Amino acid sequence: MTARFTKFGFDEKERFMLFLIAPAAIVLACFEIIPILIGMNASFREWSLVNPQRTWVGPKQYIAVFTDPVFLKMVLPNTFVLTIVSVGVSLALGLALASLLNRPFFGRAVVRTIILLPLTIAPVITATMMRWSFNDQFGVITIFLSYLGLPDVAWLSDRWPSFALIIITDIWIWTPWFTIILLAAMQGLPPEPFEAARIDAATPWCIFRRVTLPMLRPVIIVCVLIRAIDAFRTFDQVWILTGGGPARSTEVFSVYAYVLAFVDLDIGRAAAAAGIGALIMLFVGVGLYRLVNRSMEVS
Amino acid sequence: MAEVILQDVVKKYGTFKVVHEVNLNIAAGEFVVLVGPSGCGKSTTLRMIAGLENISAGTIRIGDKVVNDLPPKDRDIAMVFQNYALYQHMTVFDNLAFGLRNRKVPETEIRSEVTRATQMLGLEPLLARKPFQLSGGQQQRVALGRCIVRRPQVFLFDEPLSNLDAKLRAQMRIEIKALRERVPTTSVYVTHDQVEAMTLGDRVVVMKDGWIQQIGTPLQIYNRPANRFVASFIGAPAMNFIGVELVEELGVMSAHAKDFKVELSLDQAAVLRKHGAKTVTLGIRPEHVRLGTPTNNTGSSFTGVVNVTEQLGSELVIALNVGGSTIMASRISPETEVSPHARVQMWVDGKELQLFDDKTEIAIR
Amino acid sequence: MISFALHTLRRSIFAISIAAIFVVFVGPIAILGVTSIRPASGVFYIWRGTNFTLNNFVEVLHQSQVVQAMWNSFVLSTLATILSLSITIGSGYMLSRFGGWIQRSWFATIYIFRTVPYISWVLPLYLVNTRLGIYDTYVGLLLPHIAVHVCFFSWLMKGFFDGINPSMEYAALIDGCTRWGAFCRVALPAAMPGIAALAILCWLSTWNEFLFALILSGKRTPLITSTMAQFVTETGTEWNLMSATAVLAMMPALLVTIFGQKYVIRGLRM
Repeated sequence: MTARFTKFGFDEKERFMLFLIAPAAIVLACFEIIPILIGMNASFREWSLVNPQRTWVGPKQYIAVFTDPVFLKMVLPNTFVLTIVSVGVSLALGLALASLLNRPFFGRAVVRTIILLPLTIAPVITATMMRWSFNDQFGVITIFLSYLGLPDVAWLSDRWPSFALIIITDIWIWTPWFTIILLAAMQGLPPEPFEAARIDAATPWCIFRRVTLPMLRPVIIVCVLIRAIDAFRTFDQVWILTGGGPARSTEVFSVYAYVLAFVDLDIGRAAAAAGIGALIMLFVGVGLYRLVNRSMEVS
Repeated sequence: MAEVILQDVVKKYGTFKVVHEVNLNIAAGEFVVLVGPSGCGKSTTLRMIAGLENISAGTIRIGDKVVNDLPPKDRDIAMVFQNYALYQHMTVFDNLAFGLRNRKVPETEIRSEVTRATQMLGLEPLLARKPFQLSGGQQQRVALGRCIVRRPQVFLFDEPLSNLDAKLRAQMRIEIKALRERVPTTSVYVTHDQVEAMTLGDRVVVMKDGWIQQIGTPLQIYNRPANRFVASFIGAPAMNFIGVELVEELGVMSAHAKDFKVELSLDQAAVLRKHGAKTVTLGIRPEHVRLGTPTNNTGSSFTGVVNVTEQLGSELVIALNVGGSTIMASRISPETEVSPHARVQMWVDGKELQLFDDKTEIAIR
Repeated sequence: MISFALHTLRRSIFAISIAAIFVVFVGPIAILGVTSIRPASGVFYIWRGTNFTLNNFVEVLHQSQVVQAMWNSFVLSTLATILSLSITIGSGYMLSRFGGWIQRSWFATIYIFRTVPYISWVLPLYLVNTRLGIYDTYVGLLLPHIAVHVCFFSWLMKGFFDGINPSMEYAALIDGCTRWGAFCRVALPAAMPGIAALAILCWLSTWNEFLFALILSGKRTPLITSTMAQFVTETGTEWNLMSATAVLAMMPALLVTIFGQKYVIRGLRM
């Protein structure tokens, strides 16, 4: 029996497994794990980009972040509102669109192509596009709204309109993602339960509620998990649309850390903010993962 | 051709044992079938012989080599998989040649080996096709061909016919049987289908929950099942089991249940007396439950109420209610007129009965 | 009669919804497109006037920074795709085909590091890159871009291999292949369609990536997204030029959507 084990303590299969993951693991270690450790180290230091003294200051930076009114009143609520609203609305719209498209009709291929666009175009471009369409003076949408007789909205000069614009952009980008995945899932469902429901004289809404949704549940849960993790770290759209403004009122967590590092040039505090975000995500992520596993077992 | 010997082979996943100390000697050229319900460890055993699973303890020998630590490629075996496992991106010819090319066989020899196999299996017109252009039966034939060209020491079959429809399965079964004659090679064949086990195997190994239940020729397994599980697993319709009380009167032992009484033979009585139990389980093959009155002096008759009849054309199967328990009778002449709910007289021959211990379920002999 | 009316109503609602999808998803892109071919004076109120011009594109393409940024992004995306896929194929294959503690710990690692927000490691990466002197160079951009794909694409690859029955590889093992041989000669060819789909996704996501570009690239090695962002946040008024740049930057996306649609959908579904 011992012949199977070498001096490394791994058998032939385990060595092959390690060999397969080795390149990925090395890259991950060097360019993700080590930087994260460096960041954690930096978060306990006074570390300015212009004057890197790197004095150890203990948890001072964390305390500073947690007592920063911008972080508490703007960043945290913004991040969570963005995550929850964007994921929720895109999921709802995605379900609606997927059910709409889950039938043959003339031009379906065209529609499917169109809804792929938001996914393939860079968020930076999308945000630019939105910024231009919602421009307070010449934006097509602003002008269209005033044609309808609605009051002018200065989209980018107040907190909530700016934030709404961020959320709208995010929903515009991610609704198609939900649509495509859910549409694929719907097309993969077995037809028998739907036929049985129709024979049982169920209304379309009832079929959707009682048959489609429960069968899609595993897919929906995984989608929400993936999306929630990504929505939490949204940066591109916010940075291009508002830059966190006006008056830092639309900053989300990634923008906050970026501003600390590259506007205030305070790497130490930025690292602390980033660390807090990572910790929150770790809890949320592991929690969600447990939830997913449990719901998968149930279904 | 080589013998395959399994000695105390164990497979554990973590602390969970899926295969318990398997001991099995397969002679060179022998065709052995491992049969059992799903999860009984038969596939795992096969995969351990193939080297696709590590063994947790014990030894496996192929020929005179211990192969415990050899990777599959060095064991000189060939395997047919349930889903054929053809290489989807290669033509039939390349599929057949793949194993030989890996072994650096000269191309001319490969060509002649492939020709031999394709002629044997009728694959000539398909050589240039890709697997997805073949029917299930054709794919399985290619998978067989892949084994033949290699001329390995051992063939391993992992439920090769279970993806085919019933008609094709019967046909392929015959082809495999015919192939055995033309390419005699030690073979281990895993199936959950008792018909395949009975028709193909020189010897059959019945497994359950990781334990070998019985090893024997098909007839031994059928006629002298080692325990109640083997008796119930082999044979269709399944064997009838009745819990009976043993009564001895004037030197004659008989088995009693409600509305049911069978006289046992002297040999059986002697064995049971030695065994000592007062109640045992009686096993009766459905074909041994006959309609009418006994035609010999060891028969005992009883009556039952017809529940359901199944007309198969070649035979009639009757499900009877005898004192609350169901007894199946098969091989009744299909012309027989039996109406449901009728009370009919049946008989069984005491000599044809199997006896099992109530608790251990082991055959009493 | 009522049922006929109901039917018509349903059909109109359906048609209106489809039209709405068109307007919502094509509208902003169309506005951008129209703006990009308007002269500077015609940018405002873009639906009035009939002056169209390609001068914006000419002007943008004369700016060496834009051309250089597009070239850099192209090279970076291509290299990152090749390298990321070559390291994640093995990792995904391992996750799909094997079990035991090594597989479980690797899966957990990947999951955990996927949840870590990018900003938490790009910030210190900026320090690392400046220290190593690879800030604003190809190498300094390429390696993090590969690392960013490790977790997600290993996960996608696992899902993809999960959909391929492993018995083909078992057959190859028995037919005389080593584990490595079975992986290369049987599993990889079978996985090719999925890998192509992932390659497209990977290329696009590198091309579109912004945060890394913003922090790790500068004047020497500009990337297209960070160059665009500079336009928007710093100049912010030359909408015709900005739109022309944006249209150029979205060309790969448009091409992929039109010609590689099948692959994009397959990649997303995994």
